[in-house]
Amino acid sequence: MNGLITVYRRELAGLFVAPLAWILLTVSFGLTGWLFVAMLENSGGDITYANRFTGGLSGVYWALMMFLPPLLTMRMISEESRNGLLEFLLTSPVTDAAVVLGKFFAAWTFMALFWSNNLIYAATVHGLGTPPDWPPVLGGYMGSVLVSGLFCAVGLFASSIFSSPILSAFAAMCGSIVMLMLPRLVGVYDSDWLTEQFVAVDIMRNFQTTFLVGLFDTQVLVFFLAWTGFFLFLATRGVEAKRWK
Amino acid sequence: MITANHLTRRFGPVLAVDDVSFEIGRGEVVGFLGPNGAGKTTTLRILAGFLPATAGSASIAGHDVQRESLEVRRHIGYLAESVPLYGEHRVEEMLDFQGRLHGMSSADRKRRIPEVLERVGVLDRRRQLVAHLSRGLRQRVGLATALLPDPDVLILDEPTSGLDPIQRMEVRKLIQDLGSERTVIISSHILPEIEAVCPRVLILSHGALVADGTQDELVASLGQGTHVRLEISAEHDRGTVEAELARLAHVLGIESRAGTDGYIEYDVRCELDLREAIGRHAQEQHYRIRELSWRKASLEELFVRLALGLQKDELQPSPEVTQ
Repeated sequence: MNGLITVYRRELAGLFVAPLAWILLTVSFGLTGWLFVAMLENSGGDITYANRFTGGLSGVYWALMMFLPPLLTMRMISEESRNGLLEFLLTSPVTDAAVVLGKFFAAWTFMALFWSNNLIYAATVHGLGTPPDWPPVLGGYMGSVLVSGLFCAVGLFASSIFSSPILSAFAAMCGSIVMLMLPRLVGVYDSDWLTEQFVAVDIMRNFQTTFLVGLFDTQVLVFFLAWTGFFLFLATRGVEAKRWK
Repeated sequence: MITANHLTRRFGPVLAVDDVSFEIGRGEVVGFLGPNGAGKTTTLRILAGFLPATAGSASIAGHDVQRESLEVRRHIGYLAESVPLYGEHRVEEMLDFQGRLHGMSSADRKRRIPEVLERVGVLDRRRQLVAHLSRGLRQRVGLATALLPDPDVLILDEPTSGLDPIQRMEVRKLIQDLGSERTVIISSHILPEIEAVCPRVLILSHGALVADGTQDELVASLGQGTHVRLEISAEHDRGTVEAELARLAHVLGIESRAGTDGYIEYDVRCELDLREAIGRHAQEQHYRIRELSWRKASLEELFVRLALGLQKDELQPSPEVTQ
């Protein structure tokens, strides 16, 4: 546990000393802020809709969701493996799992901070005298954090198996796109059985029909946590495999 | 303190470490010597718990490096050849991170960090970013990082590679000081490095341990003993001189060649230092002698021979006159 916290603190500090994190935060806050205001105007002041749009329905939201976690996690293992820092970590009294989890929680914390923009917009509107419908706002935030945790785990897994950060980011983006889009493409086949199977693992649908509408569903919570855990397990095995190369 | 039993490590078809066994006691300073690709780094990585062995076992402080890897890692300070450090951190932040990884308390870190930085001579750089350090300073900070948890065993992989001669000398001095307190293993392909610092040497070649002992033991047992060099006037018959010298006890062989100014150079290969006996013999025979000197087979000769797999007879005497 001590090792996990130490790695987490260092990774988080490492993220924020690099300009990438600040650039990402600035661009995304600017982009989603503009989107929120635009949707507020278009919907005639429907705060709940504007919030739901920027926090889970828009293409910009899903694009950010697919591209940011891979960019954050791409260096975490692959580059450290190349420059010897992974050797430094893995010869310290810290388990492989603690190293992977420390890095994961750092990326996840960043994403949690990243998605706080919707909370800030809602709080601002609330402060101006129009309280939003808080359960969907809070649910949407929680769901966003859960979905981005899953994609951070996918990114770490890719980083653990590729030696180039660019390659690992590309693989993680492709993986995220496949995970998001595959259940949507299944509809082109006229098969109830297939549709049923893929609906169960439809990330977008699971998020949009529960958390985003303010519904706390433990089944969906377990769904996200289980997949996240699965990819973290694979990432740990990937780190372990580096010892054999 | 350290035991390796038949350590073997393969990378696919490549046999990087081939059935290596040795024991290293507490407080020993041991040098791993071998050409590039001999298996030094792989062996050290196995000992440090980073690489698993394909076969065989190793233990440090009574803990198996594979099964009790975390316990082993608490006893060692390991500095990899690449000196991995986080460039975005300041020197003291890097050490603080290492201290936290080793579970050191805040009070311990506050006490130890200035102590080790002082020891390696970079206390005045503690607020500097690691990325802005020169190669030599990085190496020192790497050493400080390895030393911070006060390990029983220090494993240093090529600790002076990339340093200038003065920096090398300083790092050597530091390692010598450290050796008086703890077990130190150093790998290097640079002979003077090992000769200067390590009383005991393990020579690896093509993954196999080909020699293990103190420098003197190795040179005496595997080397060619000593060489006595003579320059005798050409007025004495070369064949007769050679035959008479060959009759002396402990002489292994003689080579001669024409020297300058009417002298002939004789290189007498012998098991012992025969200068006195040869001098006495030359006096009895009334040889006109211009030079009588002794050359000891060096670790370098032995290293070259073992690394290249040369036969004993192919060993050439060192040009260095040691006495």
